[in-house]
Amino acid sequence: MLLHLLVLAPFVAAILMVATSKEDPKSSSRLAFLFALAFFGMSIANIAAGNQATEAYEWFRIPGAKGPVYYYLYSHGLGAWMVLLSTGLSLVALITARNTTCKNYRNFAIGIFALMGAMNGTFLAADAVLFFFFFEAMVIPAAILIAGFGGKDRAKAAMTFAIYTLVGSAPMMVALWYLISQADSSLLLSLAIALQNMPEGAQTAILVSFLLAFMVKTPIFPFHGWQAISYSEAPAPLSAILTGAMSKAGVFGFIAWILPIFPMNMSIVTVMMWLGLVTAVYGALMALRATDAKKLLAFSSMGHLGLAVAGVFSLSEAMLPAVLVLLVAHGISAGAQFLLMGIAERMTGTRELDKLGGLARVTPVFGSLFGFVAILALAIPGTAGFVGEFTVLLSLWDMGPVPALVAGLCIILSAAYMLRFVQKVIFGEQKCEVAGTRMTALEGSSIGIMGVLLLVFGMHPAFITNALHLFDEQAIETMAKLAGEKPAAGAEGEEVAPSSIPGVEAEVDENVADVAVPMTEEDFRQLDSNLAANGFSEEERANLIAQLKAMNAEDSAETAAEAPAAVEGGNK
Amino acid sequence: MTNLPLWFIPLFPLIGCIVLGAIALISSGEKKGPSEGFVGALSVLFPALAFVSVVLLSFNMPEGGIRSTLCNWIDIPMFKVDIGFLFDGLSRIMLLFVTGIGTLIALYSNGYMHGDRGFARFFAYINLFLFSMIVLVLSDSLLLTFLGWEGVGLCSYLLIGFWNHDINNCKAANKAFIVNRVGDIGFLLGMLVLCTLGGSNILNYDALNAFINMIMGAGNVEIVVPILSIAGLCFFIGCTGKSAQIPLLTWLPDAMAGPTPVSALIHAATMVTSGVYLLARLSTMFVQIPLILDIITWVGLLTAFWAAVAGLFQNDIKKVLAYSTISQLGYMFMAAGVAAFDASIFHVFTHAFFKAALFLGAGAVIHSLAGEQDMRKMGGLLKKTPVTACVMIFAFLAIIGFPGFAGFWSKDLILERLYMSGPMGPFFYAAGLLTAVITAVYMGRLIVLTFFGSYRGSKESEEHIHEAPACMLFPMVVLAFGAIFAGYFWADSMGIKFFEESLAPVVGAAQAVLHHSEAHVSAGVFAGLGTLAALLGMGIAWAKYGKARIPAAKGSSAPQGKMATWTFFWDYVHGVVITVVNAIAWVVDNCVDKLVQFAQWLVGGIAEILGDGAASFQVRKVRLQIALSIAGVAALVIVVLLTGGLI
Repeated sequence: MLLHLLVLAPFVAAILMVATSKEDPKSSSRLAFLFALAFFGMSIANIAAGNQATEAYEWFRIPGAKGPVYYYLYSHGLGAWMVLLSTGLSLVALITARNTTCKNYRNFAIGIFALMGAMNGTFLAADAVLFFFFFEAMVIPAAILIAGFGGKDRAKAAMTFAIYTLVGSAPMMVALWYLISQADSSLLLSLAIALQNMPEGAQTAILVSFLLAFMVKTPIFPFHGWQAISYSEAPAPLSAILTGAMSKAGVFGFIAWILPIFPMNMSIVTVMMWLGLVTAVYGALMALRATDAKKLLAFSSMGHLGLAVAGVFSLSEAMLPAVLVLLVAHGISAGAQFLLMGIAERMTGTRELDKLGGLARVTPVFGSLFGFVAILALAIPGTAGFVGEFTVLLSLWDMGPVPALVAGLCIILSAAYMLRFVQKVIFGEQKCEVAGTRMTALEGSSIGIMGVLLLVFGMHPAFITNALHLFDEQAIETMAKLAGEKPAAGAEGEEVAPSSIPGVEAEVDENVADVAVPMTEEDFRQLDSNLAANGFSEEERANLIAQLKAMNAEDSAETAAEAPAAVEGGNK
Repeated sequence: MTNLPLWFIPLFPLIGCIVLGAIALISSGEKKGPSEGFVGALSVLFPALAFVSVVLLSFNMPEGGIRSTLCNWIDIPMFKVDIGFLFDGLSRIMLLFVTGIGTLIALYSNGYMHGDRGFARFFAYINLFLFSMIVLVLSDSLLLTFLGWEGVGLCSYLLIGFWNHDINNCKAANKAFIVNRVGDIGFLLGMLVLCTLGGSNILNYDALNAFINMIMGAGNVEIVVPILSIAGLCFFIGCTGKSAQIPLLTWLPDAMAGPTPVSALIHAATMVTSGVYLLARLSTMFVQIPLILDIITWVGLLTAFWAAVAGLFQNDIKKVLAYSTISQLGYMFMAAGVAAFDASIFHVFTHAFFKAALFLGAGAVIHSLAGEQDMRKMGGLLKKTPVTACVMIFAFLAIIGFPGFAGFWSKDLILERLYMSGPMGPFFYAAGLLTAVITAVYMGRLIVLTFFGSYRGSKESEEHIHEAPACMLFPMVVLAFGAIFAGYFWADSMGIKFFEESLAPVVGAAQAVLHHSEAHVSAGVFAGLGTLAALLGMGIAWAKYGKARIPAAKGSSAPQGKMATWTFFWDYVHGVVITVVNAIAWVVDNCVDKLVQFAQWLVGGIAEILGDGAASFQVRKVRLQIALSIAGVAALVIVVLLTGGLI
């Protein structure tokens, strides 16, 4: 019930908002606060309730597919936390938007609720088609909000945003359609099984089109063209939601859909990890040069998400909690920063870094809050950002010292641009008149609470990490039941049963390297250098490699799954 | 009160920080700040409570120390760390002077910051600093130490940029934080290397020591030493950042932009010595990697010498003291490099007293001269501010190693250990002694320029010169007593070895691993040579500056001519690195990003052209339209049929 409410009720709320006055933000904002608060409460209850799923309702059938599309929601730790980000940021965004976008607050709230519903759907969908439906549906309210409430260049920004992200996921649509035409249903398990029976070329093609969609959404270099302009032109409360919650859909897709479905080989993992790292460095360098405050925040956000994606593809054991903490920390801190920057823009009328300054003297409370949140974004130990960054660094260290060093460089650069940002906005001489509405107590305290939350999660990350059981047994049973139920063509039905077992294990482990293809000569060389980097002696390495080769030769399919695990054990 | 929980110690300053921060935030909107008496009392109360708890715990500490694990911090696969505290001989000494001097300086700041609008905010930061510093030295694992480590860096940033309306202060603060961040990444990577070696639980100091002893006991030295060396190097990079050693030393002179009590507390007595503390804490590891120890000795040596020479040319009274701090830290690192960890901590201890006294004295001088920091505009203050002058002269005698004063005992000990450290020993000793002479020269110059001769400032300002208020003088006098007597905790030639014995359970075993042959040189010779160096330096200073005409100050207080750039050579090196990063950022912004945009534009353009082409079908020819429609429907039907129908 909770899950249905989280996904469907925001749309209902959006419709109910129509009843309020268009001119008077007072009445509409009260209703909007109530709704948003209710959703926020529901998302907390959702985390507290642990893993849960709804009944799988048959929704419709796609031409060419063997099975139906289900309306089937499933909440696991990762999705539940992302839903919390989406509802929480929407709540604070609606609070700050009352003073920022006074004109036609009602329509703004309608858009935010529609966006929230779509985001919740994306994070909770257990059916691939349903996921894709919401994944695309997110773009539309966001684009309309940018076009309606954005800055000077809003038309161009909305257009770029909509077209770029929709085109980016077009190949995924085709690939998904092809995949479900082969699978029994569009649930995760059937997709994974169907994919394993495909030729390698088709597998790679499908994987690449999935990756592309998520890379555009995150965004990962070089598919970030839409990001800076959209984030900077969007109204600040919306930017906060876009960066804090919507951009997480990309990383979420990597973790919840790509890793369980696709067997990863070393080359794709390495490429993706390096793309993530390049994005991190690129974002940091661009932020260093940005002159527009919101662009700076956009690039900073890109850098952090790049680091998160690099962490995902380190595929280490610690990856999932590490990335989740990083995502939650980034969602809260980047969201808070965008909201504060929106208030600064409202007060001064500009977001040019060179025209801002001295706000700490004029509005000391705002200045303190701004500095406080910026320091939390620096990943000082004791904040959630530190736990996330350090554990991601730890995962990257598993891949070798160079990725960890690059990530370390990003942490230094992030200090450089963040301090420059703080200095330009709140310190130094005052350069502009403060004319607009100042920060209200409600805005200040809600953003302050976000900051305190970062400290709480930083000192006790177990709140987040304990919620993680991505696929528990019950859910897999349900999926297996649904997959088995299908009136599949006789011969294939028999094939499903035995092959489903390794598939299940792969998902339970979340360690997809285990189902990798047999190790090649190159993998051995990579492994050898990793071991050398970790300080194994010449003899030990030769021994280990020889063992692995022997195992590899004996039984390629089975042993290849165990080899990485054995190596991991050896690393300790 | 024997079973006072350990977490009481950091708790007091934390409460202080929260309370004072709340007061500062609530009152920030008003024209007039909160009552200074009330805020001031709170600001001294919390550090004092922490000091009292440390003293109570110190008396009842068992030989092996007190350990307590508070709760779990991070618990994920592959990585599990607890929040725990360790109170032993080493952390006891560090905590005693951190909280003690912290309390005194909080009292002093009540006078120094009088009338400042950010009064409450200042003390909130000071309390946050004390909290972080206590966590740094009290923690039982590297990760929690790192929390304090970055925490003190953050407070240093906040306090350097305390007067943030001046953009130069902000730049100095940014520089301090970023340079420290570079070092901190070294610390982080060091932790990762250790994790690779033995999992996350060896981040705990006890577990790390046990692990290293086990490995060494099993004789697996060759396998582990290379990795340990990398880890050691990474940690040492972290230390060079925090303790301002070559190559990351440039931030400390700039950090003098902050209020003077901050310079005394953070940038002289406590925070900058945390690098030395870390080396002593990891002594079991460092003695196994002699290569890194050699690097540490050389870096310490070069830094000590370099900073002393640079100190000769400064005109700003606080900058002289800043370079002097860097130079003294160099001595401590030299000592740690020859595995004399107890001697290095002893110098940390004595240095905290005399350098804090010097800074507070300098603060009192600046206060009485209404903010003037240029020594060329001072002079003859001995008669006008006699107490300040006496305090500074006692501390001066301590820093140059005049017999009987605190610095004499600790510096003498370091030089002695350097001499006995092996074949290179005599060279290290000679370099240390030469640096001691230079130290006496530049410190003598400071004293002569400030207190002797005649006043060189303007006539109007002369009338306003006044002695500091009592709440500033009291801490200075206490610290001056420390500067005189702190050395008697370990007066080797008098047979007092209290300090050595209290540190022995922590670093004794490690130092025994690298046991150097006892060279039979009598302690008297060392003491005599040390005294000679101090006297020689004082003599040179008096001869050169005592009677000389001091050139009138013009413009900035930075050294003039070639020396301005020459002394800041490392700034130049850092400048090159920053330029390179900026150049790369420029390329990324102007080339790579433009290329991406071009590709985007190209795709968009092609789509538009194709669209225009397709638009030509949109003509008013009914028959053609119908034909195309039928073809389209046919194609759809074929596709549906081929893929299995509509079910």
